[in-house]
Amino acid sequence: MTSPKPRTWALSIVAAACLATSAQAQTWSYKDAAKPFAGTSIRVLDEVTPLQETMKTLVPQFTAETGIKVEYELLNHFEVINKGQADMLSRRGYYDAVMLHGIQMGQMLAAGTIEPIDGFMADKALFNPGLDLKDLTPRAYESLAKFKGQTYSFLNWNYNFVYWARADLLNDAGEKAAFKAKYGYDLAPAKTTRQFLDIGEFFTRKAGQMLAGQPLKTDFYGVLHEGITGGATVSSVWENIMKNYGADLFDASGAPSFNTPETVQALAFWARMWKYSPPGQGEYSLVDVPTVMGSGIAAQSIAFSDFVLGIDKPGASAYAGKFTYGAIPVNADFKGPRSAGGEPSALVINKASKNKPATFLFLEWMIDKDTQRKLIEAGKGGVPIRTSSFSMPQFGGSQAAFYGAMKSSIDVVQAKPKVPKIFEIYDALGPIVQQVGQGKLTPEEGAKQGQAKMLAICSKCTL
Amino acid sequence: MSVDATLTAAPPWRRRFSDSAAYPYALIAPALAVLVVVSLVPFLYAVYLSLHNVEYGQVGDWNLLDNYAKLLGNDRFWNSLRVAGLFMLVAVPLEFGLGLAGALLLNQQIWGRSLWLPLLFIPSMMAPIVVGLLWKIMLAGSWGLLSYNVIERFGWLPGTSVFASSDHALIVLGLVDVWQWTPFMMLAFFAGRQALPASPYRAAAVDGADAFQTFFRLTLPLLTPLLVVIGMLRFIDAFKVFDSIFILTAGGPGVATESPSMLAYKMTFEQWRIGESAALAVLVWLAFFVLCNVFFQIAKKRLKAF
Repeated sequence: MTSPKPRTWALSIVAAACLATSAQAQTWSYKDAAKPFAGTSIRVLDEVTPLQETMKTLVPQFTAETGIKVEYELLNHFEVINKGQADMLSRRGYYDAVMLHGIQMGQMLAAGTIEPIDGFMADKALFNPGLDLKDLTPRAYESLAKFKGQTYSFLNWNYNFVYWARADLLNDAGEKAAFKAKYGYDLAPAKTTRQFLDIGEFFTRKAGQMLAGQPLKTDFYGVLHEGITGGATVSSVWENIMKNYGADLFDASGAPSFNTPETVQALAFWARMWKYSPPGQGEYSLVDVPTVMGSGIAAQSIAFSDFVLGIDKPGASAYAGKFTYGAIPVNADFKGPRSAGGEPSALVINKASKNKPATFLFLEWMIDKDTQRKLIEAGKGGVPIRTSSFSMPQFGGSQAAFYGAMKSSIDVVQAKPKVPKIFEIYDALGPIVQQVGQGKLTPEEGAKQGQAKMLAICSKCTL
Repeated sequence: MSVDATLTAAPPWRRRFSDSAAYPYALIAPALAVLVVVSLVPFLYAVYLSLHNVEYGQVGDWNLLDNYAKLLGNDRFWNSLRVAGLFMLVAVPLEFGLGLAGALLLNQQIWGRSLWLPLLFIPSMMAPIVVGLLWKIMLAGSWGLLSYNVIERFGWLPGTSVFASSDHALIVLGLVDVWQWTPFMMLAFFAGRQALPASPYRAAAVDGADAFQTFFRLTLPLLTPLLVVIGMLRFIDAFKVFDSIFILTAGGPGVATESPSMLAYKMTFEQWRIGESAALAVLVWLAFFVLCNVFFQIAKKRLKAF
């Protein structure tokens, strides 16, 4: 009899480890893990959208399984920021978990109000071995949750931008022929910034002109984008445009880097976009963009995908079913990594919480594969936080183009860098970015003024 | 039981108390206590915050007047004062003039007055958020009811929209305020006019005074105390405007409609610059304290209003 070879030994060890893990995964349950906390009540503050309202219907299942009572409070975007931050910063711990948009993480980390979850993840009694964190969309999760060697959250919401266009116009035979005659290539959803501008220019028409064989009753516009001074305008310009030109708000050291040739190029593109936009763009927020797109006066847009879902459904708009989607158009001349805007967000454990382990269990349960499956089935879609969710039937069929675009964005979306003064920076850049769009500042002036404003706020802005 | 009998029946200690100098103070004490708790304490706390470093809601060291210096060196602060000033200049005189004219009209026993009066309450009774949303639906660029059907159809604002234009946004916000608060002014002035004694008017009629003379010699002087108080309240209220700006323009385009309240909101709830925003609140209070006193003195001495 010969002794086993080293390779056989190694395989045996791996197999044994897998079996042990599998057995542990099979034996671990929320019910058992929650036994020490049964009867505990936790308060969770989250943002209200259709997705979270669906989640709210599932929460009683967690209580039934664990005995942990959850007050799951949903507030609108502004309130969830104000109330959540106020509670965390006050250290009174009214909420055990608070939803933080990625943009808030820098501020809250600087204030030391977020409880890291590494300790809970290392606790075998608390951590679900079947949670499969590698399945969370990796770029969003890694950039959002991990910071300086610690983990501060899972990934709960995967807000992202997509390219959104009128398929009925892009597929119209007459328009296709006219476009090819004018620009020398086929009319199709824009993949590059140049195509985006060409389509924008092509479809910008005055009332009385023809569009897809019909006379226009009102003016029609080629491009639609958020343009309000607050909101997500700066965010979109930064992540959807600037980064695709190789520009960024901050350099590698975290210092402001707004006044660069790349930023000027990106702002020049942004200014050209506005020439093909509705006159009211300067007042459009992220909520107005889908409303206007749904009213049928624009050919293409860049918008938050979850808002698009509210428009492209029967009964919501006369143009529902007539849209197409794609990845965020990129600058073909830039050879660096592709970028898409988004706002990976998470529920974090409030450092002042008195029920941290029970809260951790709830947060685990929220991102659990089974919960996510139920969430997607109940909501008939949504914005997945797990890569595997994209293979569910809800994301195929007639919705395949939309979810394909969403996945394309999520694949490259990164959370914002951890910048404590990011809201001040946005507030300073908002008017400048808008004025560049409206033609009141040149891209060069905008870049210069923006840099000066940023430097007045911070010389090293990232944590 | 008659009143006199009640007084007679009151125990001696109560009669002594009601005759004492402390009695009036005792009567206003509950209201004063509420005012101190809900108004004075927060204000004093704001003064305290304005004199300290406040980082992420945690009060730090005493910093003397650093927050004030930062604020006074911030062009956004001066811009917000300019915005509030312009807003007041657009809104309040119009509200005042239209309100007074409407009140005099209502006083003329016009047809359907009992129908108009309750309707006039509607804009003032609406929650500010509803007013904002209503006018958003009316004036939103390219999809608002008025924007789409009137302003853009007739090409009145080529290449821009009401709230995207820095030349028009503030004026229109002022007009929205006029829409909301003119009926309130009208009703307040109407109530004041109704309360005026009839005898001077009868005497004026006997003397042959015309409507013009009656208005300037009788109505206006008699109404002056009310006009001054209501006008002052509206000036203060207009300066503090927040809701309609928050909903309709968020302070934009650029910073063209960023009022002090809007700026304070951003500084407090978005940026957590609580020390500076407290300084802003204190400065605005101080400015109003001075202005209201000046206004009061003018009303008292020049207009003989009080």
